[in-house]
Amino acid sequence: MPTSQTVPGVAVAPLRDEGAPLTGAELVRANPYRPWPARITSITDLTATEKLFEFRFVDERIREAFRHEPGQFVELSLFGVGEAPISISSSPSKSGFIELCVRRAGTFTERLHQMQCGDIVGIRGPYGRPFPFDDMRGHDILLVAGGLGIAPLRSLINNIHDERSDFGKVTIIYGSKSPAEVMFRSQFEMWRHRKDFDLYLTVDNPDDTWDGEVGLVTKPFEHLEVDPGRTFGAVCGPPVMYRFVVEEMRKKGISYDHIYMSFERHMKCGMGKCGHCQIGHQYCCIDGPVFNYWEAKNIQGSM
Amino acid sequence: MLYRVIDAAELPALVDAFMERYEVIAPVRSGRSFAFEAVGSFDDIVLDYPTTITSPKKYVLPPRETLFEFDAAANEVADFVEEVTPRVIFGVHACDINALNSLDLVFRDARYPDPYYAARRDATMVVGISCTPSEGCFCHLVDADEARTGYDLFLQDIGGRYLVSIGSVEAANILEGACNPREATDEDRIAFRHATRRRQASFNPDIPNIQEVPMLMDAFHSDPFWEELGGRCLSCTACSSVCPTCYCFDIRDTMDPDGVHGLRERTWDACTSPQFAVVAGGHNFRADGRNRVRHRMYHKLNGFMAAHDRNLCVGCGRCVYACKAGISPIEVLRFFERKGADDAD
Repeated sequence: MPTSQTVPGVAVAPLRDEGAPLTGAELVRANPYRPWPARITSITDLTATEKLFEFRFVDERIREAFRHEPGQFVELSLFGVGEAPISISSSPSKSGFIELCVRRAGTFTERLHQMQCGDIVGIRGPYGRPFPFDDMRGHDILLVAGGLGIAPLRSLINNIHDERSDFGKVTIIYGSKSPAEVMFRSQFEMWRHRKDFDLYLTVDNPDDTWDGEVGLVTKPFEHLEVDPGRTFGAVCGPPVMYRFVVEEMRKKGISYDHIYMSFERHMKCGMGKCGHCQIGHQYCCIDGPVFNYWEAKNIQGSM
Repeated sequence: MLYRVIDAAELPALVDAFMERYEVIAPVRSGRSFAFEAVGSFDDIVLDYPTTITSPKKYVLPPRETLFEFDAAANEVADFVEEVTPRVIFGVHACDINALNSLDLVFRDARYPDPYYAARRDATMVVGISCTPSEGCFCHLVDADEARTGYDLFLQDIGGRYLVSIGSVEAANILEGACNPREATDEDRIAFRHATRRRQASFNPDIPNIQEVPMLMDAFHSDPFWEELGGRCLSCTACSSVCPTCYCFDIRDTMDPDGVHGLRERTWDACTSPQFAVVAGGHNFRADGRNRVRHRMYHKLNGFMAAHDRNLCVGCGRCVYACKAGISPIEVLRFFERKGADDAD
C-alpha cells in the first residue's frame, strides 16, 4: 500500500544502464513484456512458404541469459506489426543462436519473410513447458510430425542427435501433403543413412520422384515395432492429427504419460495471463505447450 | 482482523482524510445506475448503491494501456516509465474485493509478476463496505459474499455506525487521525449479527444453490444445453467488459502517423469474441458460440478452481444485467437445477 504521494511507475528495463551493469537475467526480469533486439544471421528457404530464420541477440548479456529446452517457444516482435509466438526449432546445444521455422501465413509472417540477413527483430522468452528431455534419456523415442509440426519437434530431434548415445532406438515419422513440402529432408535422410534414426517420410500426394511412403502419418504404424515399456512418444502436427496418432501409440502399448504432444494455440503474452491460449482450464503457454496424453485427456477441448 | 466502531457521522472526515493524500474513487449515481468514478466530495458518494455497471477492475487493469514505446526504424524499445496515481477505491463490495484478490493470483504470480498491474495495485487502497444483495446477486453461492483479505478497511453498516475491520497500518493511521474509533460493545456485536442475518435472508431465492458445480461442469460438458446457451450469444463481449474478474487482453502495436514511432499496448479482450482463439493460418479453436460461451463459463466456475482453488465468478450479477441474450452463470445454475428434476417426478 502506498506510503507517500510519489509512486514509482512501471519502467521497461533500460538497455543502456548507468552505474552498476545489470546481468541479462536482471534485465529480462525487470520487465517481462520487453522484447530484446536480435539480428537475423541466416535465412534458409525450406519450401515455397516456409523459411528457417536464425537469430542472435545483439546484447551479449541477453544472449548469455537465454537458455531454452526443446519444445519451448519465443515471442517474436516486429515493431509496428506486432508480436507472435513461434516455437524454437534449434537444439539448446546450438548456444547463442535461435532458429525459428516460420510459415508465411498472414501479415506478420509475410513481413518477416521479406526481411534480410542483418535485419533486427525483437525476441522475448523462452516460454513454456518443454519436452521431458532428461526423463526421455535411456529410452526409445517415437517422434511423429505432421506438416509444420516438425518445427518444434526439430528442436527435440536435434537435441537427441547431439546426445545420441543417451537414447535407444529413435524413430521419426514425418507426414507432409506433398514432396515439395517436406522440410529438413536432406538432414534427416543423412541421419537415416548413418543409421542414427529410423525415418519414415509420408506424403498425401506423391510425385514421380517420391520414394517414401504414401498415405496418412499413421500408416507406418502398420509395420512399426515398438517396445512400449521403454518408449516415449512425441507428437506435433495439425489439430486433427493428434487423436489418430496417439491412438496408434496407445495400440502399441505406450503408456498415457509417455506420449507427449506439443499443442498450437495463440500464446499472446506467454506468461499465463492474456487468456488467448487457454485450453480448458490450462494455459498452453505455461502449463504447455507440451502436454502428455493423460494431461490432455483431462483438459476439456484439448483434442 | 482488528476491528473498531465509528459513527456514521464520522465518514465524511474519513473520506476527506483520504482525499488529502489520494485520488478517491467511489460509487456515484450515473444515469439510472451507479458507477465507480473519481469523487471530489463525500456528498457525491452513494454508500448504499446496489451494484455498479462496471467494476473497479479498470483501476488496476485499464481497458487500454501502454506497455512501452518503440522506434520501428531503429528497432529500439525506448526507455519508458509510466507514472501511477495513488488511489483509494472507497465503498467496494465483498464480491469486488474477492475479484481483485483473484486478479492478484493471475498478475502477481511468483513466476511472471506483471509490473504494470503490480504498480497500480500497490498504489491502490481498498475500502470495502457492506451491502444488501440485489436481484442478480449470488456471491453467497460462489463463496464470494465475504471479503476475508484484500482490503485496507472494511465498513460494516450496523445502523448509524460502522464496524470497521482494519487491514493495513496505513489505513489504521488514517482512520485514527480522522475519526475516533472505539472498541466494539456487546450491543455493536449484536447489531452486526442482526445485519449479517438480514443480508443472508435477502438473497434472491430464485437463484438455485447447486453443490459441486465444478464437477457438474465437467460431467455435463457435452450437454446440448451449451448449444442452446451459446447459440444465443451475440458476441458483443459486454459480459467480460462488466465482469470484475475477466482479465484477458490483447497485445498490439499502434503506430504514430510518422510511421516510425509507435506504442505496444494491451487492451481488454474477451474469450466470447469470435476471433479470440484463432491461430496463424486461420484455424479457430472456438469457432462457434457454443464453444466460446461454454469456455467462459468453464473458466469462471471450473477452470480457475482447478488452478487456484476458488471460483473466478464472484456472483456480482453484472453480466446478468449486461447480457442482452440472457446468458449468465445463473442460467448455468438453473440448468443444473432442472437437470434430472424431470425424472424425479
